[in-house]
Amino acid sequence: MPSVLVERVTKNYRDVKALKEVSLNLQEPGCIGILGPNGAGKTTLLKILTNIVRPTEGVALLNGINVSDEPEKALKDVGALVEQPEFYTYLTALETLKFVGRVKGIAEKDLGSEIQRVSEMTGIVEYLGRKTGNFSRGMKQRLSLACALISDPHIIILDEPTFGLDPKGMKEMRDLIKSLNQSKDRIIILSTHLIYEAQEICDRVIIINRGEIVHDTINSPSENIIEVEFEGPAGKVSLPDHMADQTFVDGNSAMFRLRSGTSNSDVINYLSSQGLRIRWVKPQSNLENLYITLISA
Amino acid sequence: MSGTARTLRVATAYYFKNYYRSKSFYLMLIIAILVSLLLTYFSLKYINRLDLIIPKNLLSTLGNSGKEEIFGYLWAFVLLDLPVFASVFFGSTAISSEIENKTAFHIFPLPIGRVTLLVSKYLAAVAVTFITVLIYVAFQAAVFEYLFPGPLLLPFYQSLGLLLIFVFSITAFTFLISSIFNKNTYAYITVFLIYFLVFNAYEIIVEFLYKTTPYYLLNVAADAMEKVYLNISTNPFSTSSSTFAPATIGTLYTSIGVMVAYAIVSFAAALIIFDRKEVK
Repeated sequence: MPSVLVERVTKNYRDVKALKEVSLNLQEPGCIGILGPNGAGKTTLLKILTNIVRPTEGVALLNGINVSDEPEKALKDVGALVEQPEFYTYLTALETLKFVGRVKGIAEKDLGSEIQRVSEMTGIVEYLGRKTGNFSRGMKQRLSLACALISDPHIIILDEPTFGLDPKGMKEMRDLIKSLNQSKDRIIILSTHLIYEAQEICDRVIIINRGEIVHDTINSPSENIIEVEFEGPAGKVSLPDHMADQTFVDGNSAMFRLRSGTSNSDVINYLSSQGLRIRWVKPQSNLENLYITLISA
Repeated sequence: MSGTARTLRVATAYYFKNYYRSKSFYLMLIIAILVSLLLTYFSLKYINRLDLIIPKNLLSTLGNSGKEEIFGYLWAFVLLDLPVFASVFFGSTAISSEIENKTAFHIFPLPIGRVTLLVSKYLAAVAVTFITVLIYVAFQAAVFEYLFPGPLLLPFYQSLGLLLIFVFSITAFTFLISSIFNKNTYAYITVFLIYFLVFNAYEIIVEFLYKTTPYYLLNVAADAMEKVYLNISTNPFSTSSSTFAPATIGTLYTSIGVMVAYAIVSFAAALIIFDRKEVK
């Protein structure tokens, strides 16, 4: 089984402490979301895991191997997409993938089928013959993911993978990560700004702020909260017990903590049937509230 | 083949492909062809009019192969700067571009050591640099075969060997400068400034003030490429004796030693810096 262990890692950029004694132990397969505002230290943590920077103190181990000491061994079973990588502009996407595949030790006889597999997964089949210098940001992002997935690694590190993609591309990317996570034999570390993305994809969510892990929780989609704004005072509005277990009313709006299996449309239908006029409905997760609280603290 | 050797071969081929498809490579090819054509024109025009550029009393001291040696010297004299330009194009951005162009984010997370990465890039840069200067050397060989039928003189091959060593050393030197900077422009400018301004100014000052030639400078060592034909110095303050005889074997060995030392020290320093390089 793959494992990721970060022990008391500190990273200083001159006077700035990007990470402060961060520890993280991932022994179970699944998708781990790393949330945090800009400059929180998310990307620095991923850069340490991928040998782009070295920790000032502490160690990072991938499958038990120290990344800084033995990067060639440690990164053998790792696919990574960190920041927004660029490629060597005079090479085609196919040549780039061949290079990555060969460096990762794929046998020549299997290289073609492996490239075909990851190209289909990431939707770049028709662009394989193009030089990467002519790629849009979105295409580069897809190619980066294809490079990360080649050789089917057991540890996948993704830093804002939906960056630069159009809404359709973002959905495809999220679906792809979800499908990768379904096999439950790999660890996927996903850094994102988008709370709903982490909530939708991840099994576990870690919130980083100012270089420290401030929260580490199991992501529970059953704790969805929605906020409903009515055209008049909410009064004593409530939902039946089988739909929600808590209701908070404040002026014209009300927040409901929904039970598992209750969808937003169930709530809208029920409230409408009660003669209430709804202005808007906004999904709000516990995670979002928690995130805002922790980051604002 | 061991894993590291395989990765080195794969990465070298990959970088070589990226280099030879680049605009820099075609620009260098055009420069090499243009300079070769100019020298071809010069050689054809002045083959029988050497008295216009060399005093008659000196001409009379030349042996049977004197004309070929003079033209060999002139071709080598012009050749000296070509590897510098080529290696600046290919080498001075070798490391800085990884940071500035963000290719480091693609390449660093791969299971390939920094040493392997840099060695492969270095070999690829040396190969493309050598290919561009070989165009010039091929022109020279063809012109000499036309003007001086028969086998080429020994100094031609000696000069070619020295050229190969020089390409290794100047490329290593540009890699060192490139490893210091994170911006391509700074790397380009610094290599040019050091090689064409600092080295030359230092050479002139030392020769003028201390009456000795700083043989340990890379540009002085590279002069051996022309001095295998004729031991003439073009520096106005040069203290070394100029003769129409080729440089002594001792001078050649010293030059080779200096160039090899530059190659080893520069590349080792570049490796150390690159190994510690971080992309913030």
